[in-house]
Amino acid sequence: MPGRSFGRSVLFGSAVAAIGFGIFGFAKLGFGSALVGETRRVDIGQKAASGIDALKAQYRRPALISFPKDNPYTPEKAALGKKLYFDTRLSVTSAQSCASCHSPGFGWADGLAVGVGHGMAKLGRHSPTIINAAWGEIFMWDGRLPTLEKQALGPIQSPGEMNMPIEKLMERLASIPEYKPLFAAVFPKEGIKPETLAAAIATFERTVVSGRAPFDAWVEGDEKAISEEAKRGFTLFNTKAQCSSCHEGWNFTNDGFQDIGLPSEDVGRSEFVPGVLKMQHAFKTPGLREITRRSPYMHDGSLATLEQVIDHYDQGGVDRPSRSDLMKPLGLTAQEKSDLVVFLQTLTSDLTPTALPVFPR
Amino acid sequence: MRKLALFAGVIFSGLSVGALAANLTITQKGRAFSSESVTIKKGESLTFVNDDTVPHNIFSTSKGNEFNLGSQSPGASTDVTFKDAGEVQVICAIHPRMKMTVKVTE
Repeated sequence: MPGRSFGRSVLFGSAVAAIGFGIFGFAKLGFGSALVGETRRVDIGQKAASGIDALKAQYRRPALISFPKDNPYTPEKAALGKKLYFDTRLSVTSAQSCASCHSPGFGWADGLAVGVGHGMAKLGRHSPTIINAAWGEIFMWDGRLPTLEKQALGPIQSPGEMNMPIEKLMERLASIPEYKPLFAAVFPKEGIKPETLAAAIATFERTVVSGRAPFDAWVEGDEKAISEEAKRGFTLFNTKAQCSSCHEGWNFTNDGFQDIGLPSEDVGRSEFVPGVLKMQHAFKTPGLREITRRSPYMHDGSLATLEQVIDHYDQGGVDRPSRSDLMKPLGLTAQEKSDLVVFLQTLTSDLTPTALPVFPR
Repeated sequence: MRKLALFAGVIFSGLSVGALAANLTITQKGRAFSSESVTIKKGESLTFVNDDTVPHNIFSTSKGNEFNLGSQSPGASTDVTFKDAGEVQVICAIHPRMKMTVKVTE
């Protein structure tokens, strides 16, 4: 994303603007930019909220994992990626792996408020889960990486995280005899290089999918799969509480960026999208699958429980210009808050324990 | 108002009304642009209508055609006139799955 700001300014005195005043009202123009007319209100015929069956249909699990055409799935590639993902030798100290911060035991996160990186130093943000990363549109809390392949190489090289120069990692992997045939089998023309390392790790990560939860059984027709409280919570989630404006679809996210009014100085997405007011303090909306295994919550890990999260949204957070227009006091009752929490609990599955791989030597 | 906007487009571009039959409206229902790609002539405008249920923030950093509509609430309609020829990448800052290309011809 270019670092250039393109805030609006009103250009007086130009012939174009002079015409614009007559037709659009005050035309707005940045230097060397497109001309933005005055915003009008139009009737868009908003429909009333959909019925419960139509709503449920929007949350149905996909049948297949989505793999990109330029990095298709093979079992061998995923198996190699799993070894690499759990291998501590990918960090400069040989003490940390991807799984140190994204551990299956903690819902593929780390259970901490913020991550702990190289030298046991605390990082600035909460370690996000990798669950359902296969469906991700953009990666990192601030969206600075466009693909899971690029994401896989980020923390490995980040000085604050695994602190491993990529050339040094290539040498180290090449010095482990049993890795060479594995890479050769999966990438016969390429062997060990940063791109194949990233492709293997990303392929493994795409196989990490949330398990079937009670909510899924209910969506598919088992009325007894979740409680009446949870059903009320689902309706609230989609109506009064407005959660589904961002936490939408089967993975409960549209991968959008919102400032939800947490009192944090972190500028978030605006570091990469300067000049767009609403991106200040904005972070990517996380999915909600396996949510009860992933506390504490939010990009800064500042809220310990789901009850605190619901209270935050009910209150509306810090009122500042960048705050999402969707954030406002909700007026939820104690019963409604409780129903929402009970509903969220139905998104957690009985995750199958993950077997650690045997590492190449 | 739509007629006025169309009229304005004629003045801006100096083109015939026939050419401006392509004066396109891009809608955003369901967090998606109604078109992935449109072609217009330099000086013509597109109308971005938020017919969705949530705010959008349509913008572009493509050189010569930068713009930022800011937070556009449901029911808002805004015209954008493209001044330079070239390919313009338009996205929603809030919703990264919303992407489209505006090809601006001479």
